[in-house]
Amino acid sequence: MKPFNQNQSPTAMNSEAPTENLETIAQAQDHFIQSIKDATNNPDDLIIQSFPPNITLIYIDNLVDDQTLNNNIIADLQNKPNDTPEILMAALSIPEVTVTSLLIKAIEGIINGSVLLHIEGYPQVVIANIASRESRALSTPENESQVIGTQVAFNESLSTNISLIRRYIVSPDLCNEKIKIGRRTNTAVTLLYMNGLASDQMVNTVRQRLASLDLDALIDSAVLAEMIDDNSLSVFPQMLLTERPDRFCDGLLDGKIGVIVDGSSMAIICPQSFTEFFQSQEDQNLRWQIATFVRLLRLAAFFLSVYLTPFYVAALTFHYEVIPQAFLVPLSESRALVPFPPIFEALLLEIIIELLREASARLPTKIGQTIGIVGGIVIGTAAVQAGITSNILLIIIALSALASFTSPSYMMGNVIRLIRFPIIILAGFWGFYGIMLAVCFILVHLLRQSSLGAPYMSPFYPPRLKEMRDSIIRMPIPLTAKRPALTRSKDDYKFDPEPIKPKKS
Amino acid sequence: MNKLKYFYSPLLALVLLYGCVETNILDKVGLTTLVGYDVGTEKKIAATVVIREVNPEFQSNVEVLTTENDTSKGNRIEANHQLSKKVVVGQMRVVLFGEELAKEGLRYFIDTNLENASVSNGIYMAVVEDRVAPLLEYEYENIEDIGQHIFRLIEQNIEQEYMISSTLHEVARDYYSVGKDVAMPIIKRDKELVKLSGVALFKDGKMVSRLPATDSFYVKIVRDTFKAGLYETILHHEDLPSALQKITTDDMTVAFDAIHSKRKVTLVNAANPEFDLNVKIKARILETYPDINQGDPKSVAALEKAIQNKLAKELEKVIAQSQKVESDIFGFGEIYRGSVRHAQLTKEKWHEMYKDMKVNIHVDFVVLRNGVFE
Repeated sequence: MKPFNQNQSPTAMNSEAPTENLETIAQAQDHFIQSIKDATNNPDDLIIQSFPPNITLIYIDNLVDDQTLNNNIIADLQNKPNDTPEILMAALSIPEVTVTSLLIKAIEGIINGSVLLHIEGYPQVVIANIASRESRALSTPENESQVIGTQVAFNESLSTNISLIRRYIVSPDLCNEKIKIGRRTNTAVTLLYMNGLASDQMVNTVRQRLASLDLDALIDSAVLAEMIDDNSLSVFPQMLLTERPDRFCDGLLDGKIGVIVDGSSMAIICPQSFTEFFQSQEDQNLRWQIATFVRLLRLAAFFLSVYLTPFYVAALTFHYEVIPQAFLVPLSESRALVPFPPIFEALLLEIIIELLREASARLPTKIGQTIGIVGGIVIGTAAVQAGITSNILLIIIALSALASFTSPSYMMGNVIRLIRFPIIILAGFWGFYGIMLAVCFILVHLLRQSSLGAPYMSPFYPPRLKEMRDSIIRMPIPLTAKRPALTRSKDDYKFDPEPIKPKKS
Repeated sequence: MNKLKYFYSPLLALVLLYGCVETNILDKVGLTTLVGYDVGTEKKIAATVVIREVNPEFQSNVEVLTTENDTSKGNRIEANHQLSKKVVVGQMRVVLFGEELAKEGLRYFIDTNLENASVSNGIYMAVVEDRVAPLLEYEYENIEDIGQHIFRLIEQNIEQEYMISSTLHEVARDYYSVGKDVAMPIIKRDKELVKLSGVALFKDGKMVSRLPATDSFYVKIVRDTFKAGLYETILHHEDLPSALQKITTDDMTVAFDAIHSKRKVTLVNAANPEFDLNVKIKARILETYPDINQGDPKSVAALEKAIQNKLAKELEKVIAQSQKVESDIFGFGEIYRGSVRHAQLTKEKWHEMYKDMKVNIHVDFVVLRNGVFE
């Protein structure tokens, strides 16, 4: 079941297309100006300049680079007489210049930040692209920060992002396909992959999914990721959103396919398996022992975060038998004052923690610290003293909240945050049986998922022993020569798996 | 919307089955940590339970209740009548039996605990000298929770291998095995303390005799392997080899730390059961009194020899005593059953044979290191 309408109605497109698309540029200057004004709804920032004897220059003020306009176009026009669009084109000292006779191309150009140069009496127009888009400077990754590794993140400019990637992968094999998505926003979306590594079938799938999206508007890549996912209804993301160019390039070099949306600082990588959401790019930069330790820690944190509170609820509500003897007295003493059953107690605290988290995410940074004080001291201590929660549960909840932050992918962190609640409720209803039911449900669900048709639980299901070397553990680099089969890469090995260091003779 | 059916079914189950499970919220139950059974009046069972209750006012307190009824469940109902919290047995750690009751037989208690799913098979069972109730009801000066104290006492001694292990699982296995009998620790009150005072020998689930606590070492090395225990023995002067007799005119006390013991039992003669018992002990000598020169290989060899003889003698004594009361706590019968095809062994048959069984004991004692202290 697909919740989004990915099938464009071809009839609607075709009926409109011929009349508009084939309209040509008027020869007369007045007519041409009028047709541009009509098409762009005559905005106030539409600048029309005439250069006697016969040239008209039209552009939208906020889209073009003023300096280039002055130095390279206006200056050129004033110096030389220009008779035909072809001569004019050659005269301009800017790289991206085209000539068109179609009005729609001219409109598209002006909207994208080009200057239109019209010569009286010619049914063509010269389009000189001198777009300048406002964009912030490159900054360090905020959401996926890491200690060792590059400290640069994508920003909102598509061209900057692509240039970042081209800096990491200096290769003609890096393919770049541009697709426009959104009937109203005409957002530029770029499909990036490595020719010779990425599977053609997967590239086709992504291309087809992107092309068949019939959207009104596309503002952010997260929306796009959700829409081109294999299962948009699942809580688990099947494509990775990353703001790190190094992570993105590492994905491309594994044979994955990347999608960048103009105006969005998060790039999409697919296919992505479940375990890869718990890998950080930093793992590649650390020694394998440390990387393995950190990965196992994260995995433990995932389980801790999801199952610790439900375990508490189930043990205290139904299975007092499993509580270790040494733990029995402190646990029951801290529970003695609490008037609620454990499930309410746990849900209450979990919701308080989620409230704190949400509040601190929404609050302006300046008063964000207040939340820490309110949350930590007031609610934490007061709740225990007032006797509505037990000390031990407070520790457990704090621990599981902390553990949920260790996920390198914020999207996956959110999932962990959410799926805890149904498990707590099930644990409160049926104890360990409820937890087991939830485990089975989640496991079955995960096993059914796919990412671009590739199994989501790879390399564990289907078991791919060689790839397990770089999954929840990370073996030394010489042992991880194989590219993940998840991507169906045309080139199986990253390098010759033979040891690099020759044996001692 | 066929797929939605799958979403509805757990939801429906959630609604319909909510509340079907019996809750035992930790702070609303009284946790039985220890149960002791005695012979009551008129064939009833007298049960003494140690229950830990948690109240907001008192933090937590330990109740010791004694009730009398026909069954152990009846006793639980009776205990419930006296408490503000539901009595549950899932945290029970120790079951104690009064000596009199143990002599009458424990079959019922082994069965009823084994069948109860909320009772762990890892609980310890022990016999109390005389009656259980006075032991538990006594107001000890330094023991706050008698249930936990006895549990720790038994657990600690079993883990350090000072005492034979007697969990419910092991007791039940021994009880239902044809060629093996139950053995349990015996505890008693010694002024302000509770102490392990011996090993109870059972025949068909009935206590028939007892061994002193120090002999549990011998029971242990014959029953199974031994890995950690410390042991002290006295070598009598007349038993010492001449090399050592020179050193002292008195008895010699040796403390050693058995690093590893291995026993091997083989059936030599099936008609009139005769077994070879080979016990191999590797040990560290920790202390000898009076001191001997442990650097001298000759005196070490002499010491090894002396300890070997001593152990063999003690083993013989212990086995002889168990034979006298027809209680095969060592499991010779199981070896017999495993070695003789179509033995058709029954408990009665084996007990008859056990009485006249012959055991050839060979002890191989090796001093691995000396002068190594803990």
